[in-house]
Order: sequence, then C-alpha cells, then structure tokens
Amino acid sequence: MFVSIENLSFSYPNTRVPALDNFSLQIEKGEVISILGRSGSGKSTVLRLLAGLEKPSNGKIAIQDQVLVDDRNFVQPEKRGIGMVFQDYALFPHLTVADNILFGLFRLKKAAKQKRLQEVLELVELQGYAKRYPHQLSGGQQQRVAIARALAPNPYLLLLDEPFSNLDAELQEKIRKELRDILKKANITSIFVTHDEKDAHILADRIVKIRNGRTNFIGRPCDLLDVYRNEKQSIPSVSEDKELLYT
Amino acid sequence: MQRRLANVNVWTVAAIAIIAALFLPNLTIVTGLLTPSNENWEHMKEFVLWSFVKNSVILVVATAVSTIIIGLSLAWLIAQYQFPFRRFLKWALILPLSIPPFIGAYTYHGIVNYTGVIQTTLREHFGMALNPAHFDIMNLPGAIFIYTIFLFPYVYTISQVFLSQQSASLIESTRLLGKGAWRTFFQVVVPISRISIIAGASLVVLEVLNDYGVVKYYGIQTFTTAIFQTWFGLGDLETSIKLAASLMGFVIVILLIEKILRGRRQYSYSSTKVRPLPLIQLTGWKAFAAAGYGFAILGLGFFIPVAQLIDWTILTFGTIPLDDFMAYMRNSIFVAGFSAAAIIIFALIVGNFARLVQGRLAKLLPKLTVLGYSIPGAVIAVAVVTAFVALDEFLAPLYRMAGMNTTLVLSVSILLLITAYIIRFFAIGFSSIETGYDKIGTDFQDASRLLGAGLTRTFFKVDMPLMKGAIISGFILVFIDVLKEIPLTLILRPFNFDTLSTKAFQYASDEKIMEASQASLLIVGISALAIVIFYKFLEKEMD
Repeated sequence: MFVSIENLSFSYPNTRVPALDNFSLQIEKGEVISILGRSGSGKSTVLRLLAGLEKPSNGKIAIQDQVLVDDRNFVQPEKRGIGMVFQDYALFPHLTVADNILFGLFRLKKAAKQKRLQEVLELVELQGYAKRYPHQLSGGQQQRVAIARALAPNPYLLLLDEPFSNLDAELQEKIRKELRDILKKANITSIFVTHDEKDAHILADRIVKIRNGRTNFIGRPCDLLDVYRNEKQSIPSVSEDKELLYT
Repeated sequence: MQRRLANVNVWTVAAIAIIAALFLPNLTIVTGLLTPSNENWEHMKEFVLWSFVKNSVILVVATAVSTIIIGLSLAWLIAQYQFPFRRFLKWALILPLSIPPFIGAYTYHGIVNYTGVIQTTLREHFGMALNPAHFDIMNLPGAIFIYTIFLFPYVYTISQVFLSQQSASLIESTRLLGKGAWRTFFQVVVPISRISIIAGASLVVLEVLNDYGVVKYYGIQTFTTAIFQTWFGLGDLETSIKLAASLMGFVIVILLIEKILRGRRQYSYSSTKVRPLPLIQLTGWKAFAAAGYGFAILGLGFFIPVAQLIDWTILTFGTIPLDDFMAYMRNSIFVAGFSAAAIIIFALIVGNFARLVQGRLAKLLPKLTVLGYSIPGAVIAVAVVTAFVALDEFLAPLYRMAGMNTTLVLSVSILLLITAYIIRFFAIGFSSIETGYDKIGTDFQDASRLLGAGLTRTFFKVDMPLMKGAIISGFILVFIDVLKEIPLTLILRPFNFDTLSTKAFQYASDEKIMEASQASLLIVGISALAIVIFYKFLEKEMD
C-alpha cells in the first residue's frame, strides 16, 4: 500500500472523548480519497495527524513503507513530503503569488525553481498572476494558488481541508470540476475532507465516512448509495446529519 | 503538553534559559520572606502597612478605570470614524507616553502652584483672590490625574491597533442588525477588545505600582516609597524585601485576574483573510466634538506640559554646558537602544516557545518573566548586583589569567545596568510580541512547515515579516521606558555615567525645577521623535 494508516487515535488536551478512535485506512497511489463527516466528527484531525501538526496518542502512519509516526518515531512536518491546502488557504500575505509558490522550492537551483513555478502556474491556469499579492485575487484564484503552492515541491500526498467551504455555490460547481482535472493531471494521491456529500461523489475514488471519531463506511461512492438503499434511509435523518441534507 | 512539544527543539532550550535568567531575581525576594521578621517589620505591619495597601489600591484601581475609559474611547473613535485631524491624532495620541510621569508631576505642580502660570495670571490680570488649597495637585487625586494622562496611551495604542485590524464584517454585521453606535460600542467593541484592554490596563497597573518619582514628589505613601525608605532611610534591606514580597503578592493577584479575564480563549483570527474596517464620516458638531475630545486629552497629556518645559528651558538656557548634555543624551540612547534590541530578540524566542507548547504548566512559564516588571527597580538592583558579584568571583581566575589585577569586572560594567533593564522591561516588549504572535496564529506556520521549512526558517521567512509591526512597536515602547527609568539607573550606573533621566530627577528633587526642564525636554524630545519615526514606518508598512 502507498499510504498506510493503522489504528490511529487522538484526543485533544483536557477532553475525555477521543477526537479520533482507531482509524485505519489504506490508500493506493494516485487515489483520491474523500473523508466525509459533520463538523466535529474528527475528519480534519486525520489530516492534521497525517501532516504531523498533531501527534497521535496511538497508531501508525507510513508512506511507501517509511514510518512517519508510531510509538517511537515522529517525523517533523517539514520532513514528511506532504502538501496541504488549508481551509482558508493560509497564503502568506507578505509574498506574491510567485513567492508563495517558490516558498517550498528553496532547495532547488534557480533555473529549476523557475521551471517548476511555470509548470504549476500553468497547471492551475494562473500564468498572468505571478506578481500579484494574495489579497488582489478572488477566492477561487486564491485557492488555485494554494493548490499550486502545495503541489510545487512534488509531495507524495496532497491534503485538502474543506476545499470548497470558502467559495460561493456557483463557483463551487466550477471549481469541483477544475480541481478534479488538476488532481488527475498531476496524478497525485490526495485526501480531502468535506461535509458535502456531493463533493465526495464527484471527486473521490473512495469515500470514508466518519462519525464521532469512528469510521462507519469505507468504499466507492456508488457503494455508499447502496448502503443507504439497503438501510432504507435514502437520506440520513435531519437530526443526525443535518449538513448532508443540503446537498 | 502534547500537541506540538515534539516539534520544539533549540527554541525550547533557548526559551527556558531566558525565562530562568529573567526569573531568578524573584527568588531573592522569596528567600527574603523566610528570614525572621524584625521589629521594623512588626511595627510597619501594626501601624502603616494598611495605609500603603489602601493608597496603592486606590491609585491602581482609579488609574486603571480612567485609562481604560480614555484609551478605549479614543481608540474606537480613531478606528471607526473619519473626522478632521483624525490622521494627526491617530499617532499624536501616543505622545503623552514620551513624558515620564515624574516629569509630568513636577511640571503640573509648577503650573498650578502659587507662583505658577495659572494662579499668577488669575491674580494679576483678573484680580481674583484665590485659595491656594483649591490648586493643590500634590495629593492622591492629583497623582491619579498624572498617571492617567501620561499612561493612557498604553491602553489606547494596543486597543487601536486591535480594533483597526478587526474584521470589518464583525462590526458591520452588528450595525446591520440595527444596533446604534453606542450599543455597537458596548455590546460588541468592548467585549471583543477585552484582551487588548486587559493587556493595556495591566501595563498601566504595573507602571503605577512600580512608580517611585510621582508618589515621592507628591508625598504619597505607597509600597514603593516604603521600600525605598526602609532600605535607604532605615538601612533595613530585610524589611524592604518583605515589603517587596507583599507587593509581588499583590501583582500575582492582578496577573491571576488577568488570566481569568482572558479565559481559555485562543484569540487568533477565525479567518486569515481580514478586511480592514471602512471609516464612517462624522459631520457637524459630532466631528467637532470628536476632534475636540482628542485635542483636549492631547493638550493635557502633551502640549501643556511641553510648553511649560520649553518656557523653563528658555529661562534657564546656558546655565548647564551643552557638551555635558550631549554626553547624557548619547548615554541614554545607547542604553535604551541596546536593551530594547536585546529584549525584543529574547521576547521573540520566548513568545515562539509559548505558542508552540501546550499544557497549563508550559503556558505558565513565559508568564513568569512578566514578574520582573512587578518588582520595584530597587529590588531588582540588589538581585542583579548580588548575581554579578557572584559571577565575578566565579570568573576571577580568568581575570587573573588575562593579567587583570581586579576581581570586579562585570559588576562595575554597564552590562550590570543593561541586565537590570532587561529584567525590568521584558514584560513590555513581550506583551507586544505576544499580541503579534496571537494575531498571526499558527496557520501560516503550519503552511510553512508543510512546505518543507523547519522552525527556524519559518521564523525568519514567515513569522518575522508578518510580525514587523509588533516588533517595531515593542522596541519603541521599551526604548522609551528605559529612557525614562529612574531608580535602577540611579543605583546601578557605572561611576560618572549620567543619563538624561538621572540628571532630570536629581535637579527636580533638589527643587531646581527649571534646571530639570532641559534634561526633561530632551527626554521628551527623543521619545517623541522615536514615536514619530515609529508611526511613519508603520504607516508605510500598512500601505
């Protein structure tokens, strides 16, 4: 397996209930995984644990058989080769689009840097925007810069935290397709978390549903529909999964 | 301690070392408590301690309340409304900070006393028979007035920066919900700026508790004056350390209150995209009132005392050689600049540590450094001298090897004074840096690390540029404070080393008020200049 997550558990300080409980997932190279769940379900915690921004209380993460974290090891986030697109993008406000993207390429030679910059700008179709500052861009453009920045250093794995939550509905539709194209073109293994079932169905090869820190479904999007059909609950009830209703 | 502790390395070591060094002097006071109490202490406890407590409490509470009212109302006007002279007032309202309270105290006394400009004018030009008692400023309300008018910028600057950077949507949404300006102020602005109000007001409170110049000059008995009297008057260091310990207990209570008021809230932005607040145009009498209010405060806190100082300086000009003054000025600028730079560097390291670790105990560590600000200068002086003499003894073999025939090297150097300044004023720089860190949050840092940059690279490439404003404002605040400092400088300066403030204080306490005005005016001038430079720089940054 390309990415292997085993029995991952995590609790925030001063809380009793674990944010994540015995989470396991195997991901193949090039797969696009969606982690689906309500806010507070622990879905973002998975990303933070993968990125190394939090330390799990238990469990193991490995990419290509190299252990990132287990009982004994902890690889620092900057050494993991994992890219992340933050929910509010976290573009450096004091740097231009080009400098934001170049930020992760500091180990490359000058020519190689420029080449890679042009490649990713082309990938996200922002060639004319290199000199702009983040606040001079629209929300959709900011997101594409964030994706370009995360992809530039060629990470093994790309994480996206609620990639559509900051965009308006009309734009969401368009960006979903764009994002799908970008991910496929870049052929990158990626995981994104969302509370929107529609996102998951359009973008993901496989869906992981999380509730209260526990996995309650892993499978292809069409399987999820089967589950609902079998359980005769075509749509989850309002009180439980309110957000899913809005899709 | 879990969350990020695994990520901390060199930073942890450096930060803990700094915290320890800054905290050590506090221990001398704790050990002082353990010595058996003597008759002086018993006497004080029985007869006078209560009046010290009462005076200090009255001064602290009244000053805190009035600085919050003035500071926050001005901050809100400037952050939210457009009116004539707003741009000028925005930075000019920091200027009262350039006048040390002890200079303001003797200047205002000079203005309102029997031979002062107010009484003379009323008597001679209006023929009024005046009761001098109505013009007495040398009492508790007078001291509160002096502290308020010269210390309110602490609340004003911190709140103003905070409010200007608040997300516009928050304020706008309140207005759209149909709340008027006043209700917006009390129901939204005050609660959201709670943190900055508390930060500013606790600086004010600590300044007041630590002040020696004003209360000494006005003859008010507080903890600080009592410490000086028992130490230098009675020669009883033990009792003065006991008093200092009581004062520290007081400060710890205040810090705890601050902690509780701040609560568990982590107050970084909910969004990394912040739209600045659009200004609302004031017209007619409202615009006039807003500008008038600003100018009234600025007049009391800056123009009136400065005019008086200029007047006195002209009257006495030439009585003190200019060369001497240039030397005092160079000394002042050197010690202030050097200490401020050191403090900011240390504060950046400790602040970075503070936001990286989690857990109650680890969060508490950086708070310890703030205690230095609560210890009266005189007590820090004893502690630092003791430590340096011990250090010199330790290093004595080294000195002999270098061919020196003295064992006192560090303890007679300027390093002694600078170390004391750093311990004393660390809290000022740290407060600014901490607010800066809180503002940028951890998202940018996380993003940077996931792009392959380690903690150190992240610090220089991301945190520092984003914190430029906080770094500069922290530097300026410390710089001005060192420039104005009195007791530490008097006690710890090397032989023949005079600064502007030691000179001003010496003249003023000799009742040579007019001669004191020259050095005072220079202190005010340099501080004011630093503030202008600071403001211009900051303004350019924001464009």
